[in-house]
Amino acid sequence: MNPVEEHVLNTTRRHFFSQSASGLGAAALATLMSTDKTEAATGHRGLPGLPHFESKAKRAIYLFMAGGPSQLDTFDYKPQLKQHFNADLRKMESVTMGQRITTMTSGQKTLPIAPSKYKFQQHGKSGAWISELLPYHAKMSDDLAIIKTVNTEAINHDPAITYICTGHQLPGRASLGSWLSYGLGSANENLPSFVVMTPSWTGRKQAQALFNRLWGSGFLPSEHQGVSLRSSGDPVLFLSNPPGISSAMRRRMLDRLERFNQRTLDRFADPETKTRMEQYEMAFKMQSSVPELADFSGETKETFKSYGPDVNKPGTFAASCLLARRMAERGVQFVQIFHRGWDQHGNVGGDLPNQCRDIDQPCWALIQDLKQRGLLEDTLVVWGGEFGRTVYCQGTLTKENYGRDHHPRNFPVWMSGGGIKPGQIYGETDEFSYNVVENPVHINDLNATILNRLGIDHKRLTFKFQGLDMRLTGVLDHAPVEALFL
Amino acid sequence: MTTNPGCTGQKRDVATLKAFCFSSALLFVPLMLAPQLVMGDEKVDFSRQIRPILSDKCFACHGPDDTHREGGFRLDEQESAFGEGDSGEFIIVPGNPEKSELMARLVHEDDDLRMPPESTNKSLKTEEIELIRRWIAEGAPWSQHWAFAVPQKRELPKVANASWPRNFIDHYILARLQKEQLSPTEPADKVTLIRRVTFDLTGLPPMVEEVDAFLADESPNAYEKVVDRLLNSPRFGEHMARFWLDAARYGDTHGLHLDNYREMWPYRDWVIRAFNKNKPFDEFIIEQMAGDLLENPTLDQQVASGFNRCNVSTNEGGSIREEVYVRNVVDRVVTNGTVFLGLTLECTRCHDHKYDPLTMKDFYSMFAFFNSIDGNPLDENRKDHAPIVRVPDEGMQEKLEQLARRIATLEKKLSGEWAEIDTLQREWEASIRTTENNLESISAALLGDWYTVGPFPDTQRYLINRKHGPEGQPIDLKQTFDNNGQKLTWKRRGDWVDGKPHADLSHEIAANFLYRTVTVDSPRKIKASFGSDDGIKIYLNDKEILKNDISRAVAPDQEKVDLDLKKGENHLLVKIANYGGVAGFYFSLATKGDSALNKAIAIANVEVGKRSPRQIQELRDYFRNQICDAQLLVDAKKSLEQSRKERADLDRTIPTTLVWKELKQPRKAFVLKRGEYNIKGEEVKRRTPLALPPMAPSLPRNRLGFAKWLVDPGHPLTARVAVNRFWLRVFGTGIVKTAEDFGSQGEPPSHPKLLDALALEFLENDWDTKALMKQLVMSSTYRQSSRLTEELWKKDPENRLLARGPRFRLDAEMLRDQALAVSGLLVNKIGGPGVKPPQPDGLWFAVGYSGSNTVRFRKDAGPDKVHRRTIYTFIKRTAPPPQMSIADAPSREFCSVRRERTNTPLLALMMLNDPQYVEAARALAERAMIAGGETVESRAAYIFRRCAMRKPTAEELDDLVVDYHEHLAAFTRNTDAAKKLVNIGEVSPTDNVNVNELAAWTMVGNLILNLDEVISKN
Repeated sequence: MNPVEEHVLNTTRRHFFSQSASGLGAAALATLMSTDKTEAATGHRGLPGLPHFESKAKRAIYLFMAGGPSQLDTFDYKPQLKQHFNADLRKMESVTMGQRITTMTSGQKTLPIAPSKYKFQQHGKSGAWISELLPYHAKMSDDLAIIKTVNTEAINHDPAITYICTGHQLPGRASLGSWLSYGLGSANENLPSFVVMTPSWTGRKQAQALFNRLWGSGFLPSEHQGVSLRSSGDPVLFLSNPPGISSAMRRRMLDRLERFNQRTLDRFADPETKTRMEQYEMAFKMQSSVPELADFSGETKETFKSYGPDVNKPGTFAASCLLARRMAERGVQFVQIFHRGWDQHGNVGGDLPNQCRDIDQPCWALIQDLKQRGLLEDTLVVWGGEFGRTVYCQGTLTKENYGRDHHPRNFPVWMSGGGIKPGQIYGETDEFSYNVVENPVHINDLNATILNRLGIDHKRLTFKFQGLDMRLTGVLDHAPVEALFL
Repeated sequence: MTTNPGCTGQKRDVATLKAFCFSSALLFVPLMLAPQLVMGDEKVDFSRQIRPILSDKCFACHGPDDTHREGGFRLDEQESAFGEGDSGEFIIVPGNPEKSELMARLVHEDDDLRMPPESTNKSLKTEEIELIRRWIAEGAPWSQHWAFAVPQKRELPKVANASWPRNFIDHYILARLQKEQLSPTEPADKVTLIRRVTFDLTGLPPMVEEVDAFLADESPNAYEKVVDRLLNSPRFGEHMARFWLDAARYGDTHGLHLDNYREMWPYRDWVIRAFNKNKPFDEFIIEQMAGDLLENPTLDQQVASGFNRCNVSTNEGGSIREEVYVRNVVDRVVTNGTVFLGLTLECTRCHDHKYDPLTMKDFYSMFAFFNSIDGNPLDENRKDHAPIVRVPDEGMQEKLEQLARRIATLEKKLSGEWAEIDTLQREWEASIRTTENNLESISAALLGDWYTVGPFPDTQRYLINRKHGPEGQPIDLKQTFDNNGQKLTWKRRGDWVDGKPHADLSHEIAANFLYRTVTVDSPRKIKASFGSDDGIKIYLNDKEILKNDISRAVAPDQEKVDLDLKKGENHLLVKIANYGGVAGFYFSLATKGDSALNKAIAIANVEVGKRSPRQIQELRDYFRNQICDAQLLVDAKKSLEQSRKERADLDRTIPTTLVWKELKQPRKAFVLKRGEYNIKGEEVKRRTPLALPPMAPSLPRNRLGFAKWLVDPGHPLTARVAVNRFWLRVFGTGIVKTAEDFGSQGEPPSHPKLLDALALEFLENDWDTKALMKQLVMSSTYRQSSRLTEELWKKDPENRLLARGPRFRLDAEMLRDQALAVSGLLVNKIGGPGVKPPQPDGLWFAVGYSGSNTVRFRKDAGPDKVHRRTIYTFIKRTAPPPQMSIADAPSREFCSVRRERTNTPLLALMMLNDPQYVEAARALAERAMIAGGETVESRAAYIFRRCAMRKPTAEELDDLVVDYHEHLAAFTRNTDAAKKLVNIGEVSPTDNVNVNELAAWTMVGNLILNLDEVISKN
């Protein structure tokens, strides 16, 4: 070997070791040695200069209710509507104010007002009105900041959900979680920094689609895309060794692979070779860290009980929530759970109670669980869908059953933990829950708020693509909602 | 989830830098990451060093967008930049930085007055300010943005080492290296070289025999022979096509909402053929842009026009048509801008461009070229979203013509004169003739013949309720209908007799219509009886009188209705909706006695010579269909039925593909304020962006004119953008790194003169793609070893200067194709529908809409499907194949002209554990045991060589042998494990070999397929 090459190699090795000491190695070591796993969060920190300011939340869990939950039957209590039962909203132009409506109801002869059939009561110190469908939410109302006035422009699912998850109505942009991974890096090198779960649901069978782009990386490097944690088969794709291959055999094979690759590194001195060697090591570690993550055997009876009976069924929302807590403990930056089935064009009476039952207790349990472990204060939990639903009925209206079309102008989102002032109701809607009358929160404001709590100035986290400084919250003026801050 | 130290916010080949990043960012200024910072005695280069700074930091407020312009001046235009601002100060005074307001404001001590404002996060670095000062001091030489100036022919740069360059490319590369005081790396060895070039031209590794032949060939043009062989391989087109398909955003589903199947693969195959035939690139562009507008377009040219149909589409319930229409067109404008112009037009959808001289009006004037498709913007969830063409292959075409001839002959025979049968008819007529001869009195109602038209396919749930074909308008038997490119006409069916179920309608999920007249002499009600398979809808005189949306088999008397007939001719239209399988109907009219027989008797009574042609036909039909049972006739009828069925069956299998068909009258186009579909501003006409050379007046103002404008030799962008992308395939990074953006915000070219020379050469060679590819791979630049030295790594970590050969990880498709090829599993068949090799269960179901026809993934069976090249893998755009997305392949939801290359643990897991890769390892193992000699050493060397192409060193061979023995020992202790391992995959292992040995070799294969050397292009 000539002296220059040797020098390069030595440099290369030195780099590897110094990197190990500051990043990967330290994280792995900490994971192994630490019993308090949150302390393992010493992995690399993403872009230089980030976080932009002190982060109030170190991680976030986003409980996404795909399909558009009805605000009128959950968090937005409108007692006066009873008087307007079956009245035609189309005749109330002062309420509709030119809002475009989907072609599913634009052809209806009338837009008859459908008051909620469910009982509401005030709860907690905040006096939040919460529907009887969400008794556990009622119990924890003082843990939540309920925003009643989130709004969007999109009125159909695909554009609306793509918009709130990636900041744009059409495919091609980076998702919230991938921005976080890109900006903040990972706190645990043995687990992905952005994990997605798509649990089962029991409401409307014909559920709206999800799209990989909702957790895709768009223009960002694809290593930042969300990793699906699956409830059947390999939890992470191709995690298991082939049939007949034990972990020991794999280890032996990887050792040999490293010898070969080291020789290639000697030959070409390509740093990419070095990176690849590290990735194979990380893959091997994931083969134990992921099953360990998914293994509930160490959880207590009390914990199982708090999440409810579904927690023992793999792939339920309850099981996903428990997994989310376990990931929070292990420093996973961002967990997003997409619960489907909230698209109640009809049969609010039949399907909505099931949807609410799926999520009510697990949401409560997750918040309490995080709180008990001291994790809630730096874990931001967000709950919400892509839009709300109309006060008027789609299809046949009776007092007992009705359907609701998509409504973009106001819908509820709640936040809890990580730098959010609990026990508050933010924003107010008109008596038809059709317009915001106070404190609108655009979905870009919402995303700016989430980024802010994680220490990111949404205007400064940018990526140059196609000649533009792309950012999650778009080009218009949006801002975090400071009133929500603790 | 990998370490991402993030030296910069730039998109870059993450992996390349990763390991070095911490220190490199601190210690060195990597050369090409910040090209404007290159220092030296040389004069400052405005285009490369200054304009990018002004663009990035200043244009947003002092640039082309006049609605957001501050201070009354703009820095993208010389006149304004050298003039006075609103303040009265001169912005730039050439030669005098002190008097230039620009300098004063860049270094102002007052935070509020210093530019750019802090709130923009665009502060200038000290070096950048210094550069600007030097540039002004040097006289502030100004030039147009490089990409808008037409490439100029120049003399080759002089180089000291005249023996190194092999062609003009090398002159430019070497001249720059000399300037940077670098020298090229030695040539790569022959094995590395043939592996590299085979990958670059075909996407596959060479076969060992090809390597041996090359090694043995000592002729001076041995390498050129290899290159020529590869350029002529059909694998070349497959490889080149996939880059194009990324740009064209080709997918096998619609991409939005339901994400149903879209049949579009004939377009994909067209692209492959075009590259294989070396279709000149200008024609390649013209046919895709406007194949349908060419004179008498061939089927192929129409298929090519599918380029502008590859955009994602939706049929989401509730969608607003106009909004979707605008989105579709916007996607086309943006894609065309990126692919052909290398410009980012998307921002001009809502406002004038902030960096480039492009306006909203430019955008919507381009929009006007792409807005007039003759079809529904919503895709109706159909695989054949109109307009489409049918693309029968040669065999199908022949068979169709044959069937058409046979059917015509039989129809003619059955309805025309036929001596044998006519004799029988005359005998029968005699037997029924009566003395009575009053036609009117016998028949209560006179029934016209049945006519039928169809099928009109649609989604099952819409079949009955939606209007199709002749519905909703008076019947005109001459009318023709368009069913996605297929012309449908009314056909008489004299053979449908009443009172019998008929079950010979099309088996498609579709609507069919039956029509006849009912004539009565006075208004009356007559009871009619119907049956249907499946749903039925009945119109009398254009009014709906019955609807039943039902799934059933046809039987008599399923529906009974009173036909309320007016005097004279009444029109009876029956719609039969078929939900799959057999389809048919039944009809009878309650009249006294058999009206048809009575009518026949009446006609029989008319003297032979005095019968009208219609009477002759009616009597003949009655006889042949109701009476005659001569074997001759029965056979002919059977044969006709059979042929019709064959044709219908064949018809269903003819592939279709989405194409462009222009509306006769173009749609109007408007500037859409803020980009909102429903806020129309000024009306605009079709024209190209004003900042670019105008369209010749002789060119038609349509897509064809647009395409010809693109390929005009005077166009500054098209050829440059094209050659840059070919360059990028081979060298890993474009000469313009931002291959999608040649505008002010894109990165300036690393070798601007080389880019121009390549573009001009491409034009001179009549857009000869293969010649261009050959020049690239024949250059000395390309043939260098990719060995990295410390000096090189310091100066040029991204290898933009090309002082070494390209080395990077293989793309997703190449990784999989390589594993299949070296293991001998690869099935080399060109074209056809997308195939579904195995992927983990549940990936589609986890996201799919319950009603989508791609909600459940079903793996294909048989090597013919699962061992094809990856370009043929079915792409569901909302859940692309993991083997693709894990290795950085785009989802094809939007246009993408370059990929990144990341290394993640997920990729490692896939390469280690994906059953397809394990199967490849096992197949390799089998080959080694059969053809790799008898010794462990020879087999190990065999596997290694098939994958790495070179022979293993002694040390490597030792390692492999030890590896094998260790695995063998483990499997011998646990033969069950060995059995499990080797039974993986589509093809069963041979049982002629020892299973423990096979398993052990499989693991050796698995190891070798994961070597860095094997998954990289070296």
